[in-house]
Amino acid sequence: MAVKKRKERAVGGESGNSKKFKKYSNSKGPMKKNKNDTRKKGKGPRLPSALRTELDRLDPKIASDSDDGIDLDVGNDVYEYEEEVPQEESRKNRRFDPVENYDYELPEDFEDENVPSDDEDDDGDFGVGGNKGSRNDDVDASDGDEEEDDERHLRMLQGVTGMSTDAFGGKKKRNSVVISEAHPESEDNPTRDVLEGDSHITLQDLLDPIQGKAGYSKLRKRVQHMDRKSTSVQAPLPKVDREKLERMAVYEHSKKDITKWEHLVKRNREAPTVFFGGDVDLGFSTVGAIASEFEPRTEFEKKIASLVYDDKVMEAHKADGSKLLELNKISEEDYMKHRDHVAKMRSLLFRHEMKQKRIKKIKSKTYHRLKNKDKLKVESAEMLMDPEAAKEQARKQEFKRAEERMTLKHKNKSKWARRILERGLNAQDEGTRAAMAEQLHQHALLTRKINTVKDSSSSSDSSSDDDDEGSNEDRASELLEKAKEKTLKVLEDDEELPNSGVLSLPFMVRGLKKRREEAIEEAKLALQEYEQLEGTNDAENSKPATASGRRVFGRANNEVPDSNKKTKTDNKMKMDNYYGNSDSEGDLEAKANVNIEGGKRNDVEKDVGPNYDRKEAADVSIFKNFDDNGDPGSKTTYEVAIFASDSWRKMKSENGVDKNAKKLQQVKEAIVHNKDMEEGEEDSDSESEQMVDGILSSAPKESYELPSQSELIRHAFAGDDVEEEFEKDKQEILNEENPEPDKPVLLPGWGQWTHVQQKKGLPWWMLKEHEDAKRKREESLKKRKDAQLKHVIISEKVDKKAEKLQTKSLPYPFTSKELFEQSMRMPIGSESNPETAIRSLNRPEVMKKPGVIIKPIKFVEMHHHEKSEDNKRSGQKQKKNKSKGASGKNKKQSN
Amino acid sequence: MGAKKENNDDEMDEKVKKYLRGEAANLEGLKDKKLKGQLAVREDLYGKSAKTAAKIEKWLLPSEGGYLEAEGIEKTWRIKQESIAREIDISSSKNQYDIVLPELGPYTLDFTSNGRYMAAAGRKGHLAIVDMKTLNLIKEIQVKETVRDVVYLHNELFFAVAQKKYPYIYNRDGTELHCLKEHGAVLRLQFLKNHFLLASINKFGQLHYQDVTMGEMVGNFRTGLGRTDVMQVNPFNGVVALGHSSGTVTMWKPTSSVPLVKMLCHPGPVSSLAFHPNGHLMATSGKENKIKIWDLRKFEVIQTMPGHAKTLNFSQKGLLAAGTGSFIKVLADFSGSQNYNSYMTHSMAKGYQVGKVLFRPYEDVLGIGHSMGWSSILIPGSGEPNFDSWVANPFETSKQRREKEVHSLLDKLPPETIMLDPTKVGTVRAPQKKEKPTKKEIEAEMEAAIETAKNTDFKKKTKGRNKPSKRAKKRQEMIERAKKPLLEQQIQEHETSRKKQKTNPEIEMPKSLQRFVRQKAP
Repeated sequence: MAVKKRKERAVGGESGNSKKFKKYSNSKGPMKKNKNDTRKKGKGPRLPSALRTELDRLDPKIASDSDDGIDLDVGNDVYEYEEEVPQEESRKNRRFDPVENYDYELPEDFEDENVPSDDEDDDGDFGVGGNKGSRNDDVDASDGDEEEDDERHLRMLQGVTGMSTDAFGGKKKRNSVVISEAHPESEDNPTRDVLEGDSHITLQDLLDPIQGKAGYSKLRKRVQHMDRKSTSVQAPLPKVDREKLERMAVYEHSKKDITKWEHLVKRNREAPTVFFGGDVDLGFSTVGAIASEFEPRTEFEKKIASLVYDDKVMEAHKADGSKLLELNKISEEDYMKHRDHVAKMRSLLFRHEMKQKRIKKIKSKTYHRLKNKDKLKVESAEMLMDPEAAKEQARKQEFKRAEERMTLKHKNKSKWARRILERGLNAQDEGTRAAMAEQLHQHALLTRKINTVKDSSSSSDSSSDDDDEGSNEDRASELLEKAKEKTLKVLEDDEELPNSGVLSLPFMVRGLKKRREEAIEEAKLALQEYEQLEGTNDAENSKPATASGRRVFGRANNEVPDSNKKTKTDNKMKMDNYYGNSDSEGDLEAKANVNIEGGKRNDVEKDVGPNYDRKEAADVSIFKNFDDNGDPGSKTTYEVAIFASDSWRKMKSENGVDKNAKKLQQVKEAIVHNKDMEEGEEDSDSESEQMVDGILSSAPKESYELPSQSELIRHAFAGDDVEEEFEKDKQEILNEENPEPDKPVLLPGWGQWTHVQQKKGLPWWMLKEHEDAKRKREESLKKRKDAQLKHVIISEKVDKKAEKLQTKSLPYPFTSKELFEQSMRMPIGSESNPETAIRSLNRPEVMKKPGVIIKPIKFVEMHHHEKSEDNKRSGQKQKKNKSKGASGKNKKQSN
Repeated sequence: MGAKKENNDDEMDEKVKKYLRGEAANLEGLKDKKLKGQLAVREDLYGKSAKTAAKIEKWLLPSEGGYLEAEGIEKTWRIKQESIAREIDISSSKNQYDIVLPELGPYTLDFTSNGRYMAAAGRKGHLAIVDMKTLNLIKEIQVKETVRDVVYLHNELFFAVAQKKYPYIYNRDGTELHCLKEHGAVLRLQFLKNHFLLASINKFGQLHYQDVTMGEMVGNFRTGLGRTDVMQVNPFNGVVALGHSSGTVTMWKPTSSVPLVKMLCHPGPVSSLAFHPNGHLMATSGKENKIKIWDLRKFEVIQTMPGHAKTLNFSQKGLLAAGTGSFIKVLADFSGSQNYNSYMTHSMAKGYQVGKVLFRPYEDVLGIGHSMGWSSILIPGSGEPNFDSWVANPFETSKQRREKEVHSLLDKLPPETIMLDPTKVGTVRAPQKKEKPTKKEIEAEMEAAIETAKNTDFKKKTKGRNKPSKRAKKRQEMIERAKKPLLEQQIQEHETSRKKQKTNPEIEMPKSLQRFVRQKAP
């Protein structure tokens, strides 16, 4: 395609530039001319007539030839007036120097392409309309060249055939001129051809001078060979086309380059999950592995290493190894002994630990007190025994005392003490006060001058212990007495109410009174408490003397009547309780009674059993009697029936209660074998629990009459109208869900204008509307699920809350509802799938370990068979599906 | 050998099919390649999962439920408990016993979902919790009032008891935890263990649903059909069914105040009701001496049998026990044709009134609560032989129980998931009749109308009329016309909403006087 175009252009350009052809004629190498070109020569556009006449005038010799439009001889004359020669042409001339031309074998367009000139750009612009204007393009020029080639070729043929002798002569001169040319041709220095007008230098011309010289025949042969072989070189393509071609080539290439990734991309795209960072080497995992990599770097390290890894040392170590091992040997006995010892120590240690733990846990204050005391005792004993220890102790004590003197730690100097003092000691509670006192006491102890350490410590220990106990009690009693006095005082002195001021206001007075009363009450209570406490104190004091004196008795006295009461009440309770304590004698009796009555009861049961249904029927019949005057609220038969039976039974129960009042013992017996009570309770919720007592005596007396056959039948067909009712119900619901259309109604006055209109009745459109609505309703009724089911009403109401459990529209990639629902049919949770399948069912699209860098995709060559497999697989999938579908169908058919 | 293998393959195929839960999607017509690929991968995984599940079932769940087989002239229903006792191992024979407690009235029973524990409630206030494995009495309490029903909550630690005035919740130690006063005097209790809902019907015919996790009252509906103590939960979908004295059975869910289904089952009062564990079958018995089996997918009767039943119960394997008087009959359908035949019978001592029959889960045991205590008999082939510890574990340790409690709480289903067909969850909602179009949709509609108006071609008119200006004008007119109805509609809506607004607030006051406007009582 491109080639053709070029040819066309060549043809188009040739005539327009015919004048310049002459200029390149000599520059061209020995080129053959295409026959096509020669043929086309005549077709080209001709010169304008004015120019032609001019040419004729200048050179009448060729006038006859001018038709061709391309005559080389004509050219030089035409260019006479065209002084300036384009630069590139002159350059070209020089470039196509005959000398260079000999080696010239590359296609012409190659060179042309590489010429960096403005013209090349122009070429693009003017490629098509090249014959406009006087400027030349390369293309045109080359076209011209071809023309020239042809001619030269002709001439060369002449020369070969030996018919061109006259031409040789003419050329010789020129040739010499060419050689003698001193300056390179240029604009100011046009070539001789241009000047002389004759511009035909052929290879032959060049060869002739060296005829007969050494190598001539060789050269000539070569030239001839070249002539024979050479073909015409076509003009370069226009830039657009060339670029297009280039792009195509590049595209092809890059396509090939990129398609090699295709399988990778396809694989990734089709994969349900893509894994990233499958295996990551996290380096060494053990200390040993890291250590083995260690290389000594610093001087010191190197020195050490050289010592450690010294050959001699290594060898010695190796040699010594066995010896050392021998030395390591221990006799079995020793080992056992050692082991036992270690085990013993361990167990001892463990026991000790456990014991310590247990002891540490103990929170009892008394225990700790005792323990401390023990400790002190032990110490003192030690001191007595051991002078060393005594000295030590003394030193310690001394140190403590010195420290106390220095710091006054236990005086009221600490932050805590200061704070308490600031607030006032009286505002504190007992504990803090005691702590404060204790501290002060400590201080006093430590700062007191002591004669001998030993005396003080021992004596103080023993005495203080005794004192503490005694004094505590004393103090307590004193305090109690004081408190008592105070409270008494409070009770005694009646505060006089103020007569004036705010406090004299009536409500204030009332409030004060109230408060006073409260206070008095409190005081009284407190007083009682004090007395009690005193009592206990006394009791405790008198403990050694009287083992369990007042206190015990006092309580006992209080308790005894209580318990008596309780037992009494208990007994009462038992009476009330229908399954009372089995411990009491009464119950035992009752049980015995039960046993005695067992036989009777069984008889009763026998009666009850088979009549069970009958009884129900009887209930119904009772209801029927009540039905006439039954309350309108209750629809169902049973409730009323229940009431009926209730009232009846209640009466009986009342009777029973009366009896109970007379004989409790009997009641008990009755309770135990109260058999039919469930019935009563089932039916009567209004009855109280005590109803239990009720039926007892009455139940066995109940007699069940066999219902008559007619009654039974009536019962069986009692529901005959049930069906009708249901149908009515259904109709109602249908009407509610699909309301019936309103009947068309005429407005008053409508159609009453005239006689005629009145006769016609309703307008047609109203009727039609009504009909339509009716039809619509019918249709929707037919569409109902229960349309065919006479005895079923299926609600069509839409549950707004459940709407969110269904999708309103199909989710994106799906286009058909069936497909979507089928794809959703399988649960993917762990409850409904085996362990091995859950993972793959719930795998995310991308699997990536945290912290792993995702590397760009790497090219992996795919083997040929893999590729084919891939294709196969995709094919198989479809096939499988097909077969699946087919098998499914088959199964259906077989079913 | 070859035949055997084939047989095996068939068996496996059957199992795989079961686990595939329906037909795979047909991807042939699918144009979207990406989706096709994704779905193919999914299907592949499903297939693998089903296959492994089938294999696991084959190799790890080897226990198969057995059942009585009659030889020759023998009939299975003639086989007595005593003759079964002679044939079985000691541990199974432990399950044949009668506990006679004559004083405290007819007993009702409930088992935990794993069948390990039983709660027995005597009418006269006796509550007992028994470990059925060891037959130890764990706790026994006396509430000293009428007890009508007992039901276990999610595990053996808690149970609810319908007492005289209110239902109460107790823990295993017999401590009263809650008194649910809102329920009133409850006749029957049911617990929905996937939803953690306690459903009750009280003597005024009111149905209550209470969430036992948060204590929230989820639903409170008046049935309007009178007092009833026939109530059963469909284990498949959590729908509660009530049997009424008018012979109707109504099915309820906690989010709707009207029954989902109301069906006339019997001409007389409905005396009892039971659901097959797969949820497709319902058995009802009426006072008119009929027992009916219903297909709940079609709401049609499958089978009608003569006989009374005071209580009905389906076992895990689909055996149906019916108790009346002192007589118990067990029906079975081993052929799979849903034709229930008499399988076993059992008669208690004369005078015992059977109040409740209940199959023990994961055991071939039928518990019977009657007027003289409770009994337990063996019904071969009634229990599920393989338990799934994800669902219920009869050998549960306390740690597992704790784990499970947390898990089940996390997996608790909201009450709105209760519906007739729970497989509808997650599917595409059927288009509704009258749904108000959203603003966006209206806009889109308008846009489309305008677009069509713009793109209509005009007829070539005569010379004067075909001026570009006129054509443009005409086009504009057409657009306006297309817009008009929609705009009118909008205006109308706007006006109605404004009217509504106007009716609501009081007379507009000037700002300065607004503070004097009387506030409405809250």
